[in-house]
Amino acid sequence: MTTKTDVNGAATSSDWQDRYYHVDQILDRPGPRTDPSFLAGDEVKDFLRNKCKILVIGAGGLGCEILANLALTGFKDIHLIDMDTIDISNLNRQFLFRPADVGRPKAIVAAEHVMKRVPGVKVTPYYGKIQDKGDDYYLQFNLVICGLDSVEARRWINATLVNLVDPANPESFKGQARVILPTVSSCYECSLDMLNKPTTFPICTIANTPHLPEHRIECASVLEWPRTRGDEKLDTDDPEHIGWLYSIAVARAKEFKIEGVTWSLTQGVVKNVIPAIASTNAIIAASCCNEAFKIATSSAAYLNNYFMLIGTEGVYSYTFEHEKRDHCPVCEGEALEMSIMISRDWTVEQLIELLTEKQNIQIKKASLATPEKPIYFQQPPQLEEATRPNLEKRVSELVPDGGEVVVTASTLPFSLSLIITYE
Amino acid sequence: MSSQDSQDIETATTAIIESAPDTKTRRYDRQLRLWATTGQSALESSRILLISGSATSTSILKNLVLPGIGHFTILDHAKVSHSDAGNNFFLEGYNSIGKSRAEEAVQLLSELNDGVEGRADTRTLESILESHPEWITSFTIVIAHNLDHALLNKLSVLLWKDSKYPPLVVVRSAGFLADFYIQFHEHTIIESHSETSPSLRIDKPFPALREHALSLEFDKMDSTEHGHIPYVVILVRALEDWKKSHGGSPPTSYEERQQFKKGIREMKVKDDEENYDEAEAQAYRCWTETKIPSEITTLFSDPALSTEAMDSSRSPFFHLLAALKEYTEHSDTHTLPLTSTLPDMKSDTHNYIHLQRLYKTRAEEEKQIFKSHLRVPVDDAMVDSFVKNAHALVVLRGKPWGTFDEDKAALVESLSTMPKETCIHLALSALSLLQASDTSVSPSAESIRAKIKTLVGQSTELPDEADDAIEEIARAPFSELPNTAAFLGGMVAQEVIKMVTKQYVPVKGYCVIDLIETWTGTIGA
Repeated sequence: MTTKTDVNGAATSSDWQDRYYHVDQILDRPGPRTDPSFLAGDEVKDFLRNKCKILVIGAGGLGCEILANLALTGFKDIHLIDMDTIDISNLNRQFLFRPADVGRPKAIVAAEHVMKRVPGVKVTPYYGKIQDKGDDYYLQFNLVICGLDSVEARRWINATLVNLVDPANPESFKGQARVILPTVSSCYECSLDMLNKPTTFPICTIANTPHLPEHRIECASVLEWPRTRGDEKLDTDDPEHIGWLYSIAVARAKEFKIEGVTWSLTQGVVKNVIPAIASTNAIIAASCCNEAFKIATSSAAYLNNYFMLIGTEGVYSYTFEHEKRDHCPVCEGEALEMSIMISRDWTVEQLIELLTEKQNIQIKKASLATPEKPIYFQQPPQLEEATRPNLEKRVSELVPDGGEVVVTASTLPFSLSLIITYE
Repeated sequence: MSSQDSQDIETATTAIIESAPDTKTRRYDRQLRLWATTGQSALESSRILLISGSATSTSILKNLVLPGIGHFTILDHAKVSHSDAGNNFFLEGYNSIGKSRAEEAVQLLSELNDGVEGRADTRTLESILESHPEWITSFTIVIAHNLDHALLNKLSVLLWKDSKYPPLVVVRSAGFLADFYIQFHEHTIIESHSETSPSLRIDKPFPALREHALSLEFDKMDSTEHGHIPYVVILVRALEDWKKSHGGSPPTSYEERQQFKKGIREMKVKDDEENYDEAEAQAYRCWTETKIPSEITTLFSDPALSTEAMDSSRSPFFHLLAALKEYTEHSDTHTLPLTSTLPDMKSDTHNYIHLQRLYKTRAEEEKQIFKSHLRVPVDDAMVDSFVKNAHALVVLRGKPWGTFDEDKAALVESLSTMPKETCIHLALSALSLLQASDTSVSPSAESIRAKIKTLVGQSTELPDEADDAIEEIARAPFSELPNTAAFLGGMVAQEVIKMVTKQYVPVKGYCVIDLIETWTGTIGA
């Protein structure tokens, strides 16, 4: 048995003989599709096991899988960020967590579990938001694997990272994995228009013409909750809160003879629950880790650049090269300029609405300003209040023909300069 | 009729208000949204046998234990080796070396879910095949990873002997390459979760729908009501009106269809009436005849429906299918029974609920007629589900493991249509054959190539893609990479879930996986 010192300086007897028998078969010699720059043997093993620093973002369904795979593959300096705590509904797929862990931070529990199971691997958890960390933090990593489920967080990380990102998005029997080499290949922002539009119910339908069980549930959460419960914040993880919404929705549905309001549907609608299973996460996470391994070691060609899997009918997958989008604001720089023609009658509120609907921008809660003065600001509250009267004003009263409006939003990883002309 | 109907709805909605879900429902919430309690109980009554406790096997099991299968057994007589301890997450690293691989893995896999029973069996497969084959056939499904060629043959022959014996999943991997195959006789699916929705039958409206559409007086409605008539009703009405002035025919030529759409636009009294926009967008439904989907017509000539085959031992599925066939033969409209699922559309509460009831009532009537064609008693829930999914039923019939590799013509054909996939499959077959004859040496690229030639025929030229597959296998013939194991773990578990729940459609043929360029493909179906 050989003894080695791992990257963190702690002497371990963890690298026993043949520990990496399986991985070493790949690292000891090139294959037919291996890049000529591959340095077979000790050098690449040393980089993988002693030098490479990798960041995993998210310790949820994907994160748990990613962490275990990386550890077994031989990455020994792994960092992990996650802001969530463990919920019971995570346990059907997030296999590093047990019932006794419910309520504890995912990042901490996942790190402990993997370090216990795979000796010699150091996992450094951070329980908090990705936005808490600055460029200097992200720049220390050779590689980042992203296992996030929110579009906003992924856009943010995509825009922040100057190194490789690998996001994935499993849902039921479907998922995707991709390799992003910033400025070289297409990025997350480039493919924003491929996202499915989220299901939303227009407020007027909910209020005036509800006819689906989902409408009654939305009505209970959006209209009746604030009306009855006042300032109390709706907590979608609190069974009492869900129960209240459910009973209100059932009662109203009965009045209108709408069928199908159930507890599960109520929870699904208000939490925007996406069905998820262990196996799909495993597939997507494995392909991400596999790409990370190939890129870190150059032991084989890597995915170029998009893998999409649909497992509902047989096994269907599609691997293709997603092209960079022309004038992608993230790939090409910081500000995006766009021209838009609107009617002179349009109000500021209508303009904000339009920005939400644009598939290639998707700006929720936009704040607007001319280069000279604010038009409408969502934050802070004082400024919001002061600018609120502008919502009803016509844009044409505030911005000259051909004038510029600067759009910012927390969901927008860059600023948008909108050139307004009138019909 | 309508009072009866409203009573049904009354009873349905006044059903006791559910209390907060129990721990089990909360734990399985994300998957119950996919396969519901029917799928879950099928999983919970399944018993799964894994042959070997390799990293790939435990990855597969992890993804089956988490969603809650009933029982699993790992059959493995091996002791944990140094290399096992390095690549298997369900071993205690160095501490497991020398212990039973099955026992160590079962213990850690069992931690994942209290509701699942796990057992380790350290006998050899050889001895069981010899003396207790009935033990193997007692499982719901059997999965084998990188099993010795001769044993695999014996196992697949055993499991093919009787159509009631469990399906066999054969999984093979080396380095970045892998394939898997499910051996099964017959697999029937009611809940295929097809993305095609059943017809609304706008072109062939049932009497109550037609009457309702004709009774509407659009010009007497106030603007609110006018803007909330569901598009289904608008289209039925517009089509009836059109037919009256066109000798009973729907719009056929391009010009007529444009004219029909224009007519719908002209029905608007206000520019922003979205229900008429929806009607225009869905107008194609008026000239797309509702017929029995060709896939379903094909099922009607299935040999299982022949008089000889239809004894009472047939599964309920084929009795239901026979009833469906008879139903359609008697149907005036030559359609499948109506389903009551109405999509969302622009409407107000009253109009939508009214329309929904019309569909529900009619669907119930047609279901009763359907039931009258049923010769054996079938559970109501199953009948409901069958009728609801009648447009997307699936029957799969499989072949025994290995027949593809014995069929030179099929291999040659596959080499020309799907060369990359076929070459990887053949290279894995060659590896398995070589290991069977001599386990002491690592197979060379030449020996793999020679073995492939014996499978496809000496005269068959191998395509350029063969080198990539052969040399990659020769590079790492015995390598079980953690990522490949995890990838296969997900893929195979997913197919096993589909087989066990009889929901969604499992893969047919050899699913080949290349984790260098990262793609999957299916051959030999």
